[in-house]
Amino acid sequence: MTIGHSNVVEDVEAPAARTEPARLTPEEAAALARGAGLEELGVRPGLLGYAREVWSYRHLVWHLSSAQAWATNQNNYLGQLWAVLNPLLLVGSYYLIFGLLLKTRGGTSNYIAFLTIGIFVFGYSASAIIAGSRAVVGQIGLVRALRFPRAVLPISVTLTQFLVNVPAFAVLMVMIPLTGEPFSPHWLLFPVALVFQSLINLGLAFFLARVVNAARDSANLVPVGVRLARYVSGVFFSIPHYAGHGLLSAVLLYQPLAVSMTTAREALMDQYPLTWGSWVAAAAWGVALSVTGIVFFWRGEGRYGSS
Amino acid sequence: MEAADVADTTSPSVVCSGLDIVYTVFGAKQKGTDTGGELPLVERLLTKRNPVSSVRKVHAVKDVSFVVNHGEAVGIIGRNGSGKSTLLRAVAGLMPPTNGRVWASGRPSLLGVNAVLLTGLTGAKNVMIGGLALGLTPRQVRERYDDIVDFSGIGDFVNLPMSAYSSGMGARLRFAISTAAAPDILMIDEALATGDAEFQARSRDRIAEIRRDASTVFLVSHSNAAIRESCDRVLWMEQGRLVMDGPTDEVVRAYEQSHRKATA
Repeated sequence: MTIGHSNVVEDVEAPAARTEPARLTPEEAAALARGAGLEELGVRPGLLGYAREVWSYRHLVWHLSSAQAWATNQNNYLGQLWAVLNPLLLVGSYYLIFGLLLKTRGGTSNYIAFLTIGIFVFGYSASAIIAGSRAVVGQIGLVRALRFPRAVLPISVTLTQFLVNVPAFAVLMVMIPLTGEPFSPHWLLFPVALVFQSLINLGLAFFLARVVNAARDSANLVPVGVRLARYVSGVFFSIPHYAGHGLLSAVLLYQPLAVSMTTAREALMDQYPLTWGSWVAAAAWGVALSVTGIVFFWRGEGRYGSS
Repeated sequence: MEAADVADTTSPSVVCSGLDIVYTVFGAKQKGTDTGGELPLVERLLTKRNPVSSVRKVHAVKDVSFVVNHGEAVGIIGRNGSGKSTLLRAVAGLMPPTNGRVWASGRPSLLGVNAVLLTGLTGAKNVMIGGLALGLTPRQVRERYDDIVDFSGIGDFVNLPMSAYSSGMGARLRFAISTAAAPDILMIDEALATGDAEFQARSRDRIAEIRRDASTVFLVSHSNAAIRESCDRVLWMEQGRLVMDGPTDEVVRAYEQSHRKATA
């Protein structure tokens, strides 16, 4: 358009007296862009179009997650071994405090299995929530350099945390029979419980990633919230045994993080028979949170990384 | 657009109309990380301090309009804090316009000062992730992998985490990744300044190649020599406004004269 001509918009310091081609009006610019088949930037796509765009980046999600998961334990000598050692050490210290000193084993027949499942399952949610809240602000280098649907980030962070926790789940499957639990076909439901839990984590990651991007300060509250949840979600004590069967107990028992542990225990422990209530609740939480989460996240698209 | 055979080089690839960008900066401590060295002057000139919180509004780009065609190489010059980088990020679709509209063809690729994508990961993983984010398939990335690594000239370092790279090596790898995807619009924000002379020469050749494929190139640089070598058109930004838009020689000369006036 303007090659060969000079277009002086404002002659603050530039030499005056230049040929000045008429500036395009917004309507002319829009018509020109349409005629050339250009795409408008900074405009949020429709929800369906967005979902399709995210799907087209699934390879990016996978490579980003697997690379990050592998890098998690690379910066020390024992490397990937820590993925197994960390949860084992945690089980040891929790057993010491809650099993031997405080004796919160009430209502459980196999406390070590109960505690181990609680720690490993909750540990996955805790790390996914904390990492998920920083999904956008923590990868600002990527956000500032490349254009892709930002929903890729919370999804990949959740998947990363799942992959990081796979060794812990493997340890869990070895420990459960060692604690004296009899083999059961119900164990096959454990991966299903993990799928529901992952959907719950993903939904929370969508919500928190947008909130933290908009208000950085809130990132400081996430670890506090997770710690609080660790103490009320029944990681190391049985909720019905200590909270009774009233409304409070039901709320504590059916909040998403507690329900993830209940389904895992029902799948793996003889003491807890499968109940429809917890599995339906887990599935409902998973679907509801991840669907509302992506809608919430999508509504902020275009503002990620802009401050 | 009149004749089909010249349509490729005379049709617009970027249309920018009345672009305004106002963004929020949090606290004094975070500002340095936000747009590198560009902020302090902008802030002094353009922001109102909010006495209650440390959140400030920066009006970085004011009513900028231009049209760029396929195959053009456009330099953007101006003092620190004149809004060059912000303008580039808006045209790359990384920052939403506050007012006005921007249209572009295809997927723009921006090379910033901070070239590293994921510091903790190896160069090889960065090649894969960068390529996928630019819209390549995993297979296409694998096919081009050797070319990318060869061009970057970083050798065995490709299997080390990027945190071990020098800034020049990071820039080389990023440049190689960004140009491997044959972007419709390539934007380079001071990213070549950290490379050595040999790499700068090679990247100039690569930029020329990209332009021959009818892609558009934007180059932000404080080196007028680099602008003269690579660009045939220059936009001069001053305090967020587009002051002058024209052939390289004319604009760069006017820009240099304004320096002399300022220092005399």
